[in-house]
Amino acid sequence: MAREFELTRNITVGQYLPTGSFVHRLDPRIKLLACGILILAIAFCNSYGGNLIVLAFSCLLFRLSRIPLRYGLSGVKPAIPFIVILAVLQLLFYGDIASGGRVYLEYGLIVITSDSLRLVIVSALRFIEIIFVSSVLTLSTSTTQLTHGMESLLKPLGYLKFPVHEFSLIMTIALRFVPTFAMEMEKMIKAQASRGAEFGTGSWWQIFRRTKEMLPIIVPLFRVAMERAEDLILAMEARCYTPGGTRSRFRTYQTTFRDGLTLLFILCFSLLLWMYPFPY
Amino acid sequence: MEKGLTVRKIVIAGVLGAVAILLGVTRLGYIPVPTAAGNATIMHIPAIIGGILQGPLVGMIIGLIFGITSFLNATIPLFKDPFIAILPRLFIGVMAYLTYRGIRNLNEYVAVGMASFVGSLTNTVLVLVLAVFRGYLAPGVAWAVAVTNGIPEAVVSVVLTLAVVATGMKIGHWGRKKSKISGDF
Repeated sequence: MAREFELTRNITVGQYLPTGSFVHRLDPRIKLLACGILILAIAFCNSYGGNLIVLAFSCLLFRLSRIPLRYGLSGVKPAIPFIVILAVLQLLFYGDIASGGRVYLEYGLIVITSDSLRLVIVSALRFIEIIFVSSVLTLSTSTTQLTHGMESLLKPLGYLKFPVHEFSLIMTIALRFVPTFAMEMEKMIKAQASRGAEFGTGSWWQIFRRTKEMLPIIVPLFRVAMERAEDLILAMEARCYTPGGTRSRFRTYQTTFRDGLTLLFILCFSLLLWMYPFPY
Repeated sequence: MEKGLTVRKIVIAGVLGAVAILLGVTRLGYIPVPTAAGNATIMHIPAIIGGILQGPLVGMIIGLIFGITSFLNATIPLFKDPFIAILPRLFIGVMAYLTYRGIRNLNEYVAVGMASFVGSLTNTVLVLVLAVFRGYLAPGVAWAVAVTNGIPEAVVSVVLTLAVVATGMKIGHWGRKKSKISGDF
């Protein structure tokens, strides 16, 4: 019961494992770029062979960054029931759309073809691979590095009048306030519960009742958020912050030869995945 | 309304983005409803509120933050696809803003309610259309989800948004409005 009130414990935003490995020491910009390219390649890779290779490669990534594989697996575990349900649904109802290939089973509306089977297996594999790759990225890069990396990657968009710096400031503010609001929310839930409020007691079909139970938390949460926002606006304006001004940073990133090599490797690997006609 | 990003818009987008992330990472962002999916999400409400209060740009940015969070935290394979997780979410705040602006002259509260209804439906419809387009769901399944999950979700979002915005309006300014420089919403 007391578990329901412990919000701050479950928050893993910006969970970071400093093992100091090769992957950790890469330039965050290069890491983000490489991760993006790899995820795109995974999204467009449709063969069994290619997906198995990526799966092996993402396991290798965990090894390289000295992060235990169970961190990746813990992301996959809660998803297993969804994967199974979705797979069954796709298998049963997708036969008439992905109708290419050999027909394995035909029974009334239910048609299972080799194409629909491929779709099911490949999308499950793809999901696991993307979880692995993105958890290596977030576990080996701190949130500060991530936002700074994103800011300098998006810099070219600045020529199109896209507010890159402001956007990364927004991301920083958002990440900064998550733990604060989690603490506030924990306090509010405890305060409401001690006055006899009930959470999660309505039956699952009572939509309005379940929604009403949320009100004593959600409304004060937004109110607290707006109050904090007012304080921060005042503080920033008092320090003469102007959006769109140019500013420099204390720490800058230096791209080394090693970073370039890594990016080149990932690029080649992704191109290979995309272009190479895998037999299966 | 001032053009571009002001300090006020930046901060409010950041703070509401934080609320969106918080609702996403704790289980509070989901309300159990009697449907196949089992949950109505309320994580898009910060995007709707941001759109109503501070205009389409802020709504879009909060939508982006919500999209990235749901992409990183996804447990359903559907949302591990950046096209489905991020792209549709950009339009929640924009649609909410447009609806709000369209009806505001009639009645403030009706406008807020309609805006959150439209914003929520934008989320459902665009996600499902892209899911069918990218080959994750069969069209029949998508229709079923749209009716059984989309409608309760929209109802939940109308109730919560109205409560939050009305509280803000009744009390007067959101929080004590301290800054004298930046404009009102």
